[in-house]
Amino acid sequence: MAVLSKYLPGAKKAREDHFEKDDPRQYLMHDPIPRGQMNEMVMESMHATSWKFWMVFGILSVLVAVCFFYAWGYMIAEGLWVAGVMRPAYWGIFLVNTVFWIGISHAGTFISAILRVFKAEFRRPFTRAAELMTTFGLIQAGASIFMHLGRVWLSYWMFPLPNQRELWPNFHSPLMWDLLAITTYVLGSTMYLYLPLIPDLAMARDRSTGWRKTFYRILALGFRGTEGEWRHLHTAMNFFAFAIIPVMFSVHTIVSWDFAMAMRPGWSSSVFGPYFVLGALHSGMGAVAIVLFIMRYTMKHMDYFIRKEHFDALGKLMMMVSFTYAYFIFNDYIIQWYGGNLATDNLLHWLEEGPMSWMFYQMILFNIVIPFAVLWIPKVRQTPWLLAVVGLLINIGMYWERYIIIPVMLTINNMPFTWKLYEPRIEIYLTIGTFALFLLFYMAASRLIPLIPVWEVQEGQMAHTMRKIGKANVSTISDFE
Amino acid sequence: MADITLLALFEDIDPAADAIEKLRHMGVTDDRINVLSGAPIPYKMLGRPHPHTNVSKLSLGGAIAGALFGLFLNFGTPNMYYVPVGGQYITPIPPGLIVLFEMTMLFALLATFLGVFLDSYFPNYRPMEYTPEISDGKIGIFFKCAENEQTKIADALGVLGAETIKPVEAQQL
Repeated sequence: MAVLSKYLPGAKKAREDHFEKDDPRQYLMHDPIPRGQMNEMVMESMHATSWKFWMVFGILSVLVAVCFFYAWGYMIAEGLWVAGVMRPAYWGIFLVNTVFWIGISHAGTFISAILRVFKAEFRRPFTRAAELMTTFGLIQAGASIFMHLGRVWLSYWMFPLPNQRELWPNFHSPLMWDLLAITTYVLGSTMYLYLPLIPDLAMARDRSTGWRKTFYRILALGFRGTEGEWRHLHTAMNFFAFAIIPVMFSVHTIVSWDFAMAMRPGWSSSVFGPYFVLGALHSGMGAVAIVLFIMRYTMKHMDYFIRKEHFDALGKLMMMVSFTYAYFIFNDYIIQWYGGNLATDNLLHWLEEGPMSWMFYQMILFNIVIPFAVLWIPKVRQTPWLLAVVGLLINIGMYWERYIIIPVMLTINNMPFTWKLYEPRIEIYLTIGTFALFLLFYMAASRLIPLIPVWEVQEGQMAHTMRKIGKANVSTISDFE
Repeated sequence: MADITLLALFEDIDPAADAIEKLRHMGVTDDRINVLSGAPIPYKMLGRPHPHTNVSKLSLGGAIAGALFGLFLNFGTPNMYYVPVGGQYITPIPPGLIVLFEMTMLFALLATFLGVFLDSYFPNYRPMEYTPEISDGKIGIFFKCAENEQTKIADALGVLGAETIKPVEAQQL
């Protein structure tokens, strides 16, 4: 029996909208086209660049130059007084950004590793797009930590380097655990991004000339696709898929411990670990929906690879994560409410009626109410722009959630005479700078790196066949992994 | 008679698997055959011997080295650089487990990554036997045979559905 999927009539021009409801070709795995054509489509999506792309690229470059590099340089030269952090909120937007970007980075690992472990086939075309978010998100998270440090040139004090003054990091501190966990996660997720990229870089090498050829030749490392190379790669990727999951959980749990280990109103909570992990997945999933929407509508041929079925599956995941997130947030708040601690009561009343209550209610609305209300509806899940809007709202809600946890909860503390609302200053520019840098990295990567893991898509299409059982044709998957 | 390297290209797995079996019958041993493909094909489907890999052993080695480093970092160095903090234990176990876990995972992941490089001889920029059609989805069987057997083998593989059978030389990728 031939294992390769047979190309169905009309498949070359196939797009999901043209198919009948029960036509299997509406699903990417059942709509194979020759590998060479798939390669050409991915290469063309990297090369086809319009003036609009360069205009957006230029605007983002200016934003990065001004809001990221200049603003940060100015803050380094002038000191942290140019930022809004002061008593009682010594931790401001820099750490909000850190937690936010680490959260975004969780989506890549979740989609790539967990779905790979469970062999969820819909993951195939967008694992790389999600993994890139992990790497670029972690770069922003790392930059935000260094911004928060202020005197960045002394950051090496965090590393265990033998020195004459006998300064040594305190490994009992959650901040040190952060350093170790984030370092592990950055290195792990970057390697996990690179390994499955090697065969696609080799594909790009075979189809490029000039500087691109040299670029891909160096990065492809001489990969040819021998049995041994595939075997080593598969073994490593399987190990990474299993190993990176606990690392991912540990990272955001440890980030939550930065807060939960302190006896402060709103912070001291035993559910903060899983609550943070769920929050991270929530924002990450939303960000993936946005990225997939942008890819599908701005990059050539992406409507072949990224289809309604993928948005539908992603929407279901977002709905499930939203339910779980609601469970944890309710758990966290109701226990604090029943605790009867005066400072905590003050904080909760302040969240309900204080000047930042709009943020609290938007958080509930965007993270729970709206996803609950709309993601049940298949039409919403399958409409890319609608799912992207839900993803955007979730990310706004999650940003507010981190803002409430950090500067707001630091403001309403056990000493009412110190209460003073945090007002960000240069932090706003630097926040714009990190967002612009993230987008800039992504845009640059979309021109240099095949965003679709072509070999994984082909592997999936080879494994999928239609089989007649009784009167019905059903989808069957062979185990290729 | 000198040996020559031939490449037979196939569109599908079935004829490629048949061709490998035929080559074996014609005296070409498995160590003289190399199969290249643009997507991973399980060795059982091609009837090939199980390719050996050291990656998992290296992962385990990395994990052990990482665990030892984590133990040293958490329980060794605080005694070398004694920093008492508010009556806390110098080497408490629960926070030590966190350091131990992170270092174990970091070293295991690094060793796994390195393992792929070592086992696959990456990076390798020397000229190699290859054809770009492989990444276009073709299955390439590279095999060495005596020069005087070339025609006989090529005919046999042609009957089995080989699209191209040609001699190949190492080239810069």
